[in-house]
Amino acid sequence: MSLRIYAAFLFILLLAGCQGTAERPVMKIGYMNCNSEAETLTRFRPLTQYLSDKLEIDFQAIPVDTQDFPERFAAGEFDFTHSNSLVYVIMREEQQLELLATEQRGNYGSRTAGAIIAKKGSGIETLADIKGKRMIFGPQLAPSGFLAQYDLLLREGIDPELDIAYYAIPSGSFKHEKVVYAVYFGDYDVAAAPALDIELMTKDGKITADDFVILGQSPIFPYCTFGARKDLDPDLIKRFRQTLVDLTETDTVDYQGETLKVLASAWIDGFEALQDSDYDYIREMAKRANMPPYQEF
Amino acid sequence: MEKRFDLVLGALLLLCAVTLVGLLSGTGSQASQRDLRVDKALEQEIAYQAKVSFLERLYAPVINLRDSGQNESALLQLDELSRKYPDEAHGETLRGEILLQLGATQKAIGHLASAVRMNGDYVDKQSPLSRRGLIERLLASELTKFKQLAADNSASRSSQAALKDLYYLQGRLAGGCE
Repeated sequence: MSLRIYAAFLFILLLAGCQGTAERPVMKIGYMNCNSEAETLTRFRPLTQYLSDKLEIDFQAIPVDTQDFPERFAAGEFDFTHSNSLVYVIMREEQQLELLATEQRGNYGSRTAGAIIAKKGSGIETLADIKGKRMIFGPQLAPSGFLAQYDLLLREGIDPELDIAYYAIPSGSFKHEKVVYAVYFGDYDVAAAPALDIELMTKDGKITADDFVILGQSPIFPYCTFGARKDLDPDLIKRFRQTLVDLTETDTVDYQGETLKVLASAWIDGFEALQDSDYDYIREMAKRANMPPYQEF
Repeated sequence: MEKRFDLVLGALLLLCAVTLVGLLSGTGSQASQRDLRVDKALEQEIAYQAKVSFLERLYAPVINLRDSGQNESALLQLDELSRKYPDEAHGETLRGEILLQLGATQKAIGHLASAVRMNGDYVDKQSPLSRRGLIERLLASELTKFKQLAADNSASRSSQAALKDLYYLQGRLAGGCE
């Protein structure tokens, strides 16, 4: 008899457990790939787990190629977004994406900048010297690896399509490091490099501050950004934002049998709640450079 | 009788001699203690001057780049120096100054407050390291802005942290309770 009672109790417990799991909603977060899908998932799965624990939602991390990001978001493949700030602006203009929080990393915190560099001693000392030279850019939708430098050249009266002998974009992963090394090893005369990558490479000892001349640098503008679909529950959006901005470097998450520091595992210093108007400089650059979302043919 | 008088006189002379020796040795010890104190103060001053001189030499490339308007290159020099001297107060001050010029005000405030926390000389008028003027100007231009920003954007931990740092700098300029 007691065995039957025990079995019934166990069954009820199991049923309750199953019901609890089934009731927890499932939502997707699209993460823009920086270098590779594998790297993106390694970086962001612990943060995704942390968000799931805090918000009691089963979030799934979806790695997304930069070029496909706006289209896949528009198709409803994910509810939350983590992308660079230009892709945020594109989705804001086209899909009314809700701004959540901006990532902080490096010297400029929640901001970043794009620099144009040449190797020291190459004879290239100013932006005017790059006319007729070979230049290497980062990927087209990179605000601090392409857009900022393209715009900087236009503002200096240099048309990259006409005044530079040749320009290219490297293929594969780690494009920002590749452009720096391309100049370092003399394959190109000038490179468009994000200020953050130059900073990190210097801190890591991969390059030294004396290796390059910074010919010009853009003003600072917002860095990578979390966004939310406009029709989501406003309370969820608020709690998601607050969870991000409340994260500190000591917060941990239990992930696959390990206790990890959430921010460190995602290579992030923290999050800041910016205003959409803080992204206006990116809009201005995109308009001047005839780039999405304002591109005209 | 005469012999007894000589004995008393001898004893008195001996007493005088002992007293004199005692007095002289006492004066000498006071003098040497004073010398020691002077030496200590001098040593501290020399060590301080040496530190200031070392910092000037160490950060000269950063300062030269900054003064010639190459703030981005100056930051890279600082990044490189921070590998050997991480979180060093003078480097923090320079980083704050440069970031301020580059428009990254919030981060600049954090670095300047961190420098003052590590070394009060940066708010000391008498110190060659003093950045009191800069901090006064920073407070005049940013305190009201950040109060408003923190009030408008209560979700932003970083603007609240910047405001807290500004209050800290304001408190350090005002000085302690004496």
